[in-house]
Amino acid sequence: MTKVRKLHIDDKVEKLIFIFVVLFAVMALTKGNQILKPTVFQTIARQVSEIGLMALGCSICMISGGIDLSGAYIANLAGISAALVMQKTSGNIFAGMLCGILIGAICGAFNGVLVAHLRIPAMLATLGSYQIFQGIAIVISDGKTVQGNKILAKFAMGKVLGIPIPFIIFAVVALGAIFLMGKTSFGRRVYFVGTNEKCSIFSGIRTKQVLLFTYTISGVLCGIAGNLSLARINSAKADFGSSYIMQCILISVLGGINPNGGFGAVPGVIIAAFILQMLSSYLNTFPDISNYYRDLIWGLALILVLIANYYSDKRKMRK
Amino acid sequence: MKKFKKITQDTEFWVFIIIVILSLIIQVRSGQFFTNNNIVDIIRSMIYPALGAICALLAFVSTGPDVSFPMIGACSSFLAIAITKSTGFNGPWIFVYLIAIIFGAIMGAVNGFIIVKYKFPSLIVTLGTSSIISGLLFGAFEAERTELPANLQAFGSAALFSVKNVKTGLGSSMPYTFIILIVVYLVAYIVLNYTMIGRGVYAIGGDEISADRAGFNVNAIRFGVFVINGCVAAIAGLSYATMTLHYLPAEYSGGEMVVIAAIVLGGAKLTGGVGTLRGCLLGTLLLSMVTNSLILVGISINWQKVFIGGIIIVGTVIPMVQKHFASKNSGIHQNGGNA
Repeated sequence: MTKVRKLHIDDKVEKLIFIFVVLFAVMALTKGNQILKPTVFQTIARQVSEIGLMALGCSICMISGGIDLSGAYIANLAGISAALVMQKTSGNIFAGMLCGILIGAICGAFNGVLVAHLRIPAMLATLGSYQIFQGIAIVISDGKTVQGNKILAKFAMGKVLGIPIPFIIFAVVALGAIFLMGKTSFGRRVYFVGTNEKCSIFSGIRTKQVLLFTYTISGVLCGIAGNLSLARINSAKADFGSSYIMQCILISVLGGINPNGGFGAVPGVIIAAFILQMLSSYLNTFPDISNYYRDLIWGLALILVLIANYYSDKRKMRK
Repeated sequence: MKKFKKITQDTEFWVFIIIVILSLIIQVRSGQFFTNNNIVDIIRSMIYPALGAICALLAFVSTGPDVSFPMIGACSSFLAIAITKSTGFNGPWIFVYLIAIIFGAIMGAVNGFIIVKYKFPSLIVTLGTSSIISGLLFGAFEAERTELPANLQAFGSAALFSVKNVKTGLGSSMPYTFIILIVVYLVAYIVLNYTMIGRGVYAIGGDEISADRAGFNVNAIRFGVFVINGCVAAIAGLSYATMTLHYLPAEYSGGEMVVIAAIVLGGAKLTGGVGTLRGCLLGTLLLSMVTNSLILVGISINWQKVFIGGIIIVGTVIPMVQKHFASKNSGIHQNGGNA
């Protein structure tokens, strides 16, 4: 079992590391004076934390054969409720963050029940639930921007040995996800369910439980991302970050996750998140390139990566 | 009796019942639902989503979700309007539509090509292409709020008929785009129900291999569906612009999810092969009523999204539960309906 999966990990991850190095070299050579600065790396690290967590959640759902379109809105709802709790408890940031993560878990579990127990196709379930999550976020925030907390913002700006704290959180969670998906029996079951659900039922796997947990984990990851984004921009709003849905799917696919489920490695997703964030920072150094071109580049990247994977898989099959 | 039982199993039937109940509630609470201006308003607000719903339905029935139609509509109508304005053309409005349709067909063909050639999930491909188109539209073409050319302006402001509510003094008028909606639906209805191509669209969505064995050209039909989708998206996009009397590029994105929700409510299945135009219209009507009429009942606009999400989930749960009970006696009822 592990042997089979190792093959996938090595292959795609190697390729991604190669792309990462090439991109980095290009950036250093063309815009070295603007890119090779610790502050730039710190900004990249801070931004990659949020999108990386959401993409991890989306990837785990994709591996299980579904998809999570509601991630960005779970993060928003978690951020808003965390901010509101902090306001109500006069600045108790731990209660707030705990509430954010809890809300993430509840939203994720809601998705999980819809997908696993009520058997709604994941895409439709999360399509419906994201409207609900966004709706609740609008209702509790009254459609306005909710202010964050000063202590939390300071905490998020803090660094340990020059590494921003949000990034440390991301790194810990990401290592946890790699361990969970790569080394535990739960992770193996998620791959199994994603490859062939019927087969896994007959093998005695409780698919409902596995799917429920998968979506709950995705929700928790998005809840953490919501907290981090609340800390970074010191405010939260219900319609913030709707373009993250597209980016999460892009990162997952770029990271080698098969959208049909069952294949792909978590480390690849993390490297893909870095590649995307670096590319975005690189584009920022060209002032005359409009921000809108980013959409164009990401869309193109998504389709080209899909096509490249298609041909490399085909070549492998022929061998 | 048997026929009645069959009707109650239809999702469309339940959507219809919900529409009737909802309209009665709104009527009782506000007394404003069954007034001529409210009904014209609802139909008017249905025109754009109902045209989009055809795109979503065709894609759903044959392949899978298509989320690129709002951006295709936005981009092709921008190009059509820009070309008309720069050439100073002031002929019949239909030519502006034709230009938009050509661009829409090209963009749809790109979607179709990638999906047919590589067999990627249509959701992910169309997410990618709609991102590309949005980048082109806002980055390369620098689209922003523009006035319509004179011929479209005249077409948009002309009214098919106007009604005036005697009691409240509020009036509203039906735009000519309503006729476009009817024509597009009629053509779609005839093609889907009475031609071999229409049968093929359902067949390839139901079971690709069987359809292939039965002699349908699966790839050609699938490609054709996405080209047609591009054309309908262009018609929808330009109709939206003519109805608002301005071209507002920022208004287009995000509409796809509500439209998909509408057709799912109308009974289209994500697994393909199932879905009707009637269901499509009913679903769109229900969601238009919710978005238009919550205020009449006195519910804050903030709750709108919660209601829409709730309706989507309830609407998808009911058929699943029905299926569950129907197959309870037949051993294992798990069937991997994963997206």
